[in-house]
Amino acid sequence: MKAFRALLRSELSVFLRDKAMLTFTFLFPLLFIVIFGYLLGGTGSASGSKLGLVTPTGVDGSRLESVVAEVGVAQLQRYAAPGDLEKAIVARDVDFGAVWDGATLTFVYDIRRTQENFAFEELAQGIAARFDLANQGRSPLLDVVPMVEGGERNADWFTLVVPGILAFSILSAGLFAVAGHVTSMKQRRLLERLVVTPMSPVALLAAIVVVRLGVVFLSTLATLVTAVALFHVAFHVNWLYYALFLVAATVGTMGLGTLLTLVVRQPSSASSLANVLSMLMLFVSGIYFPIEIMPSFLRALSMAMPLRHMADAMRYTTGVMDMSELRFWMICGTFLIGGLALLPILARYVVRVDRR
Amino acid sequence: MRGIVYLARAYLATALRERITLFWFLVFPLFVLALFSAIFANVGQTTSLTFDIAVVNLDRGSAGRVDFAASVASTFRELSQPGASGSEPLFKLHEPAAGGGDTEATLASEIDALKVGKRDAVVEIPAGFSDALLKAAEASTGSALPAEIRVHTSGGRTSSDMALGIIEQVLVRVDRHILTQLGLFDGARVVVVGRQEVGSENRALGYVDFLLPGVVLMGFLTAGLFSVPGTILFGRERRILRGYWVTPLDVPRFLAGFSLGHLALCALQFVCVWVLGRFAFGAHVNLFQPLPMLYLVLSVATFLALGFLVAALARTPNAGMAIANIVNMPIMFLGGLFFPTGSVPPALRVIMMADPVTYLADGLRASVGVNTASFPAAVSLGIPCAWIVGCAIVASLRLKWDVGR
Repeated sequence: MKAFRALLRSELSVFLRDKAMLTFTFLFPLLFIVIFGYLLGGTGSASGSKLGLVTPTGVDGSRLESVVAEVGVAQLQRYAAPGDLEKAIVARDVDFGAVWDGATLTFVYDIRRTQENFAFEELAQGIAARFDLANQGRSPLLDVVPMVEGGERNADWFTLVVPGILAFSILSAGLFAVAGHVTSMKQRRLLERLVVTPMSPVALLAAIVVVRLGVVFLSTLATLVTAVALFHVAFHVNWLYYALFLVAATVGTMGLGTLLTLVVRQPSSASSLANVLSMLMLFVSGIYFPIEIMPSFLRALSMAMPLRHMADAMRYTTGVMDMSELRFWMICGTFLIGGLALLPILARYVVRVDRR
Repeated sequence: MRGIVYLARAYLATALRERITLFWFLVFPLFVLALFSAIFANVGQTTSLTFDIAVVNLDRGSAGRVDFAASVASTFRELSQPGASGSEPLFKLHEPAAGGGDTEATLASEIDALKVGKRDAVVEIPAGFSDALLKAAEASTGSALPAEIRVHTSGGRTSSDMALGIIEQVLVRVDRHILTQLGLFDGARVVVVGRQEVGSENRALGYVDFLLPGVVLMGFLTAGLFSVPGTILFGRERRILRGYWVTPLDVPRFLAGFSLGHLALCALQFVCVWVLGRFAFGAHVNLFQPLPMLYLVLSVATFLALGFLVAALARTPNAGMAIANIVNMPIMFLGGLFFPTGSVPPALRVIMMADPVTYLADGLRASVGVNTASFPAAVSLGIPCAWIVGCAIVASLRLKWDVGR
């Protein structure tokens, strides 16, 4: 126990002195949140969009304007000529435009806004359909009433991104605790010095796990608070599940780090491999882009990514998305049991004589 | 001159021998190009998507003269059949067994399935739907409420939101079909809907043409920001650079050789990305013209200079990598390489306007006709040049070439 306390203190000091690690753990997720929050906050949703409208002199635009008001366009801006509208779209004064010449309704989009245009096009289809009916003096016979069941009612893409980034923070912390910190101790022969002391490898690993858990908890909390404070994202966190998932995921990803250290020849290569793997997982696990818009082979690949399941579980614990209790406990159980099963292997790695 | 060429060759050989360098400089940009093209080239199109939905008709048996509810349900049934070419259907449909069962209980169980992600949406046709629809059809405009169809979705699931959008479109078609059947809609007076795109002089270009210059610049940025401080700071710490200083080689010639090697690495990277974009993803954008080439060379020089700036500011290799990592993300994303940078708050706008990537990306894309230039050419070329001069001054004052000096 004394050895554990001493190791805990030293691990904590090492972490706090490592400015690069501190930056990655605390500043990196915050940067993600701030940049993505502002750049992509409204992506995927047409709510709040601005429409530019041109109706040449002599053409009645009032019916179209009332339809536009009905479908939920946040702001309508009128322009005298199509040229003015094009300039406004290019300058981002409006998100997309419509030109009604009395016979044809032409929607105008900025070709550069590929990621957003599909949402504007959906809105445009709604406008066109309603206008078509209104033009014949009819109202729709059907009214679609959306009803949200479970999860966060107003979750936009950014609301989904935040728990994804939290999951990525946990992955990085767990993965690099082994395939970075432990391997670096191995590389610098620090472990060789430690194992000749009365310290047990289990005490060292326990100290590393405890420090990482504390760090992960603080860093994810800071990220959550920033997202809520800056972008008013609605989270309903189940703190018990949150804490349990944090423990399971941290231990599980440390197990993943252990696997990486076992497949590389040089301890230093483990950190490079972890870097590559975490980056690949970041792209195909539905953190940046919804999995649903990916091609089918990437959707299938994402199922094999631990980060995808971590992100889903984190979305569940933050109340963004519903999932079955069984699936949540299976994710937690898999990570915890997997991680705990691999820790003895890591302990053997700690005391193993380094390859020279 | 020979020394410079040897150094350039050594730089290139070292980079190509390291698997991790190869990954970040060659594999990663190719991966990003492939991934983004695969995702965003078809975004919003539903041809490759199948939604798991349930249709629960509570109106069974309560229909009046016409069973509109059955007609709506059959539309979804038709859309759940595979296409003529064997393509995946739009919907994978779950319906209660014909003629029996407690539909209210089925609805509740389908909603439970929706909540845990087993369904993307549940379409509920409420009791009295057909009567309400007939009443709405018979009434004059606006005097009767439309018949409700409830679409249950799961909060926080993108697939559920997408399914709702598709179902709404399907129901608009159903609405039109019913109106036409009842003789209430004149097909000859349909409003013609057109589409036009602005923002690029070349309307024939696709998303990959927009993406390709961005990925090329991302590759150059990564190479400059990580490779330069990495080589210099690790070389300094491990006293590799000291080895050079006991030879007749001086710092200017070392810099020339280093820069030449870096330029060769970037050229190799550019060729690989361009070949993949051109032949695998059908990019049409022509980067082999004087002005785009000028922007590409200027980009390499700017990011090389940024790399020297990072090397000058960092004391240790780890600190250098940390600075590079922290700087990389904001300047890459705020520079608009992949995402539009429209509405950002003033603090981020300041970074955006100071970011050389903003001007290089805009200038390069405008030079190949992918977008309309947001800045005059003098600004797009001038600001990166100012960065080169600024970085060179700081690096010449601060950068130490040896641990002992």
